[in-house]
Amino acid sequence: MKRIVIALALVLCAAQSALADKVATPIPIGIAVAQTSNVALFGQEQVNGAKLAEERLNAAGGVNGTKIALVFQDTAGDEAGAVNAFQNLLNRDKVVAIIGPTLSQQAFAANPIADRAKTPVVGPSNTAKGIPEIGEFVGRISAPMTQVAPNSLKQAMKIKPDLKRVAVLYAQNDAFSSSETTTFQDAVKELGLETVTVQKFQTTDTDFTTQVTAVLGANADLVIISGLAADSGNLVKQLRQLGYKGLIVGGNGLNSPNMFPVCGALCNDVLVAQAYSPGAVDKNPVNKDFAAAFEAAYKKGPAQFSAQAYAAVQVVVEALAKIEKETGKKIADFELADLRAALNKSLRTGTYLTPMGEISMAPSGEVQQKDFYVSKIVMNPDGKTGSFVLVSE
Amino acid sequence: MSGFFENYGFLIVTIVQQALLGLSIYFPLMAGQLSLASIGFYSLGGYVAAVMGTHPALAPLREALGFWMFPLEWLGALVLSVILGIAVGYPALRLRGIYLALATVAFVQVVNVAVLNMPIAGGAVGIFGIPQAFESRLDYIWFFGPLFLLALFLVWRIGNMGRGLAFFAVREDELAAGAMGVAVTGNKVTAFVLGCALAGVTGAMSAPFLNTWNARQGTFDASVTCLAYVLIGGSRSIWGPLCGAALLVSLPELLRPLKDSRMILNGIVLVAACVYLPQGIMGGLAALRARLSGRGGAA
Repeated sequence: MKRIVIALALVLCAAQSALADKVATPIPIGIAVAQTSNVALFGQEQVNGAKLAEERLNAAGGVNGTKIALVFQDTAGDEAGAVNAFQNLLNRDKVVAIIGPTLSQQAFAANPIADRAKTPVVGPSNTAKGIPEIGEFVGRISAPMTQVAPNSLKQAMKIKPDLKRVAVLYAQNDAFSSSETTTFQDAVKELGLETVTVQKFQTTDTDFTTQVTAVLGANADLVIISGLAADSGNLVKQLRQLGYKGLIVGGNGLNSPNMFPVCGALCNDVLVAQAYSPGAVDKNPVNKDFAAAFEAAYKKGPAQFSAQAYAAVQVVVEALAKIEKETGKKIADFELADLRAALNKSLRTGTYLTPMGEISMAPSGEVQQKDFYVSKIVMNPDGKTGSFVLVSE
Repeated sequence: MSGFFENYGFLIVTIVQQALLGLSIYFPLMAGQLSLASIGFYSLGGYVAAVMGTHPALAPLREALGFWMFPLEWLGALVLSVILGIAVGYPALRLRGIYLALATVAFVQVVNVAVLNMPIAGGAVGIFGIPQAFESRLDYIWFFGPLFLLALFLVWRIGNMGRGLAFFAVREDELAAGAMGVAVTGNKVTAFVLGCALAGVTGAMSAPFLNTWNARQGTFDASVTCLAYVLIGGSRSIWGPLCGAALLVSLPELLRPLKDSRMILNGIVLVAACVYLPQGIMGGLAALRARLSGRGGAA
């Protein structure tokens, strides 16, 4: 009996200490992205962006003088990995917020766990429908494609006003591409264009003869592609090689320099919808600084995933600073559970000037982004490197 | 200690869940059939549960049944798996060895493409917001644990009855077994369908456990991983799948402090296991026991 009482007392003590956790200094912010597996292609870009944010924001004083420390936990590419990474960040690393995971499918598995632990999640790259609806503590700063797609189509119509016949192609096994294509198809209808064919492919495909033949047979004068870098690159290449002469509009998945080596000089003039453009610096000094610092640190221009990860860290830090300002209490004096709740509210108020332009978070957790960009691919004479040149601002 | 379960609850249940998938490959192996179809049934079972758990048309049924909706989902997955298992099994099991393995791989691919094209399955994003049976991930052990015990009992019981002897006869030599009057095709299909049914029910339990279900659950990679549980754990012992799953699932997590290099060490351990334990962990243990007792006898 005595032993049971002691055991119970110990358990109670343990539970008590868990409840009364203070916020550690430097302030721990969790980053759960895919550092390994085939999703690491995106995850590494996110790590680069987040690390740069940590360095620069700490150099600028962190949260009113208190430094932040990013805690990285690898999610790998699957759902179970994301759940394990979240559990570690929540229970062991005792972070104030989690930035991640990389894929929307992972978010559907892991975010409910953070939501139950009443810890804010900021999605840096989740674009599927339904992410903010997972729970009160789930938000994102990555725009779903609903507003972006019409922009690139309008740009295409500006270039070639007599456009009429549209062919839509998309990667059926990719979550992002298959939801993006519905947005494109709706936009096509709204703009009064005619969809002459819809073709599906897989992200693992390399031969697109069937799809290209259908496009040529339908006599399309605009092709819209939603896919990832490698497959879309091959698709563009084969479209051009087999004689397609019209305009090509790419979705957000084509917004990657990884496409350049695949289609080479044939990438030229593809129009791409972007949530972030390294070229949009005239009206946005934050992006100018960020792009320059990124270039200096990694010897290449920032990709959208890097910019969004940077923005996510920035948003969390600014929201923390806002809490200090409003309550007059240092972050380190908060109890962890209270801070997590306060941070979740703070994240959803005010606007943030990030490399992506001005953004804010609605009470639902959905991002509201002011500017979107349309760029054109311009390849260098060597046919291997190129850049996205902003055509709208 | 409570922190330990809070942190590793998900992992512990995942081990049992993956061991169940390993066992589902073990069933056909009892009759000597190398089938990778399990993961296809796992995927389908998950979709059955996800659709039954979220489809708006079934809302009144869910409300009326409450928690009993979950067993109904398992039953749905079980029935579908058995029917489909028989339909696939009869033609596929006319093939032997590597050709059967190839046919089952093809089946997994067909399921994947079919699911991606069915609007009810939510395309590539899949189905999310699946109703939860328990708050804590660890509590899902009440789903997977009893199923695992039941599956173990089945394996053990079958191994000790006529049906099991027939399985083993087919495994050792199909022609000889046939000549002795063992119904070769019937036994092969039975073993295959048992595996399919187990995988289907495991899938139906996994959908709420993972919160979400999508086509990425049923890929070729996943089926190879399941086979690895059995091979690394030991393909001739009923504890093999559990051992293999425990090692393969927990290793990346235990190595988490190593950060980026954890996958390298993970790979090294697996290669070492394959090279030094060709009979799997359980086979290695049995050999060790035999050697020890042999030495004891000599002395």
